[in-house]
Amino acid sequence: MESPLKICVITNNPLVVSGLPKQYLVDYADITYRQILVKVRDLVYAGYRLYTHPLSGSVKPNETPYKSVVVSRKPEKMEVAEAAIISASIETFDKFRPGKRELTAQIQKDFQLVDYALLCGALGLDAAAGLSIIANQKL
Amino acid sequence: MKLELGYIQITDIQFSKESKVENGTLFVDADAVKAFMYEDDDVKEWVKSFSFDIAKPGESVRITPVKDVIEPRVKVEGPGGQFPGVIAKVDTVGSGKTHVLRGMAVVTAGKIVGFQEGIIDMTGPGADYTPFSKLFNFVVVAEPKEGYEDHKHEYEHAVRIAGLRAATFIGELGRNVQPDSSESFETLGIKEGIEKYPDLPRVAYVHMLQSQGLLHDTYVYGVDAKRTLTTILYPTETMDGAILSGNCVSACDKNTTYHHQNNPVVAELFAQHGKTLNYVCNIITNENVYLADKQRSSDWSAKLCRLLDLDGAIISQEGFGNPDTDLIMNTKKIELQGVKTTIITDEYAGQDGKSQSLADADPLADAVVTGGNANQVIILPKLDKVIGMLDYVDTIAGGHAGSLRPDGSIEAEIQVITGATNEMGFNTLSAR
Repeated sequence: MESPLKICVITNNPLVVSGLPKQYLVDYADITYRQILVKVRDLVYAGYRLYTHPLSGSVKPNETPYKSVVVSRKPEKMEVAEAAIISASIETFDKFRPGKRELTAQIQKDFQLVDYALLCGALGLDAAAGLSIIANQKL
Repeated sequence: MKLELGYIQITDIQFSKESKVENGTLFVDADAVKAFMYEDDDVKEWVKSFSFDIAKPGESVRITPVKDVIEPRVKVEGPGGQFPGVIAKVDTVGSGKTHVLRGMAVVTAGKIVGFQEGIIDMTGPGADYTPFSKLFNFVVVAEPKEGYEDHKHEYEHAVRIAGLRAATFIGELGRNVQPDSSESFETLGIKEGIEKYPDLPRVAYVHMLQSQGLLHDTYVYGVDAKRTLTTILYPTETMDGAILSGNCVSACDKNTTYHHQNNPVVAELFAQHGKTLNYVCNIITNENVYLADKQRSSDWSAKLCRLLDLDGAIISQEGFGNPDTDLIMNTKKIELQGVKTTIITDEYAGQDGKSQSLADADPLADAVVTGGNANQVIILPKLDKVIGMLDYVDTIAGGHAGSLRPDGSIEAEIQVITGATNEMGFNTLSAR
């Protein structure tokens, strides 16, 4: 696994901003799931390494609005296999009918939680411990 | 390693003051089950209450949202116990004798996250799509304590343990019951197998385990599969409860604990063992999110296939999207070792079935069995009784705003139905 100092998390999930240790670089933007994928694709095409699968999670892309993807902080050389994965992920995203449902605040929080937990799993972090710290800060 | 399964056919379940199995009827004292579940500290900490119900085949009953389905069993001879590393101590299972309460299941239900899913209809068109409509189901509905919103990992763990404990309690009732029938399954050592079946092709089952994180986990002898390296199991270990489901998302293609206990690939390979093939072993491998993990795990799958001198491998995946990449990596690398593969998956091919089915592909993955198209639309009529709750239906996988219609019927994709497109091939859907 790469050092936290060598990676960058591309995300639209606010929980990731508050839930990762300080040494992680988080590039947060209030954009759509698809826009996150396109942003990652452009980075991968420019030589940034793709470290996590863009379609992590069994929650379908037309259900959850949140997505976090890990890439390298600096460009290296474009990896064809990684470019293929991100391209195929965008094609898969477009296959799903856009979700029309209104998400309640609690369901949005749950989608954020799952995205965050999957990211933590990928990074070897304990998501439950991170969430406890956030919950304690709220008290 | 040799395992004997003794099947005790369950033909009815009734609530009772006394828990026992008699003449095929399971009598359950729900208070005793509850007390046994609450002996666990995590269950005590996070679960406010349990309610219990019984759902029988053909009844106008909908169970939802389903978390897990578990077949009650008890180890009566030999080492180990049920659900090793979680309920029983971590001793290796898969040998000796285990009694199985056949024809029934413990179903855990109740909300963990707001978008959860999983429907088991006991009658109507939905019943055809889930294998669990044919079982007598003892349903445990869990309610969380207040404040659980910030502790969903802990709550998911507690409900998972509660279900396993309920199944353990009920399985124990079969300890001294004479089974109606029994079967034995044996896997030989590598050298013995080659000597005994010199002319049969050597085949293994590459069993991919969902391992992405919260609500997407699988446990092997209690170890979170995302923290494992690809390794070998005797097939009877799987049959004897070594692999447990912590996967609550994507109802149609998640492998419940029941699926692991009754893995149809294992059953079919054993049925052919010594006749058309030599069933060598199971290779378990994970489906992590980190790409380097995928590379390592699939490299190891291929390496083990070569080391075992296999002629063929059956590969099953669990989930959608991310695991498609693991599936193709495994298939491609195993084929490049000269080992023929057949993969089992399901499809997300769009509601018209015309889109690309998987998120990844390779020309070497040229033998595929499908478990059906999860985007297929179905209308589930209103049923008389709901066990669990329906309020989440508009947000479930494959549902959409307006899924729960005013007349109580549900319009959704078959994704919502537990086990509909199972990627072990457990269910009956396919395509030719």
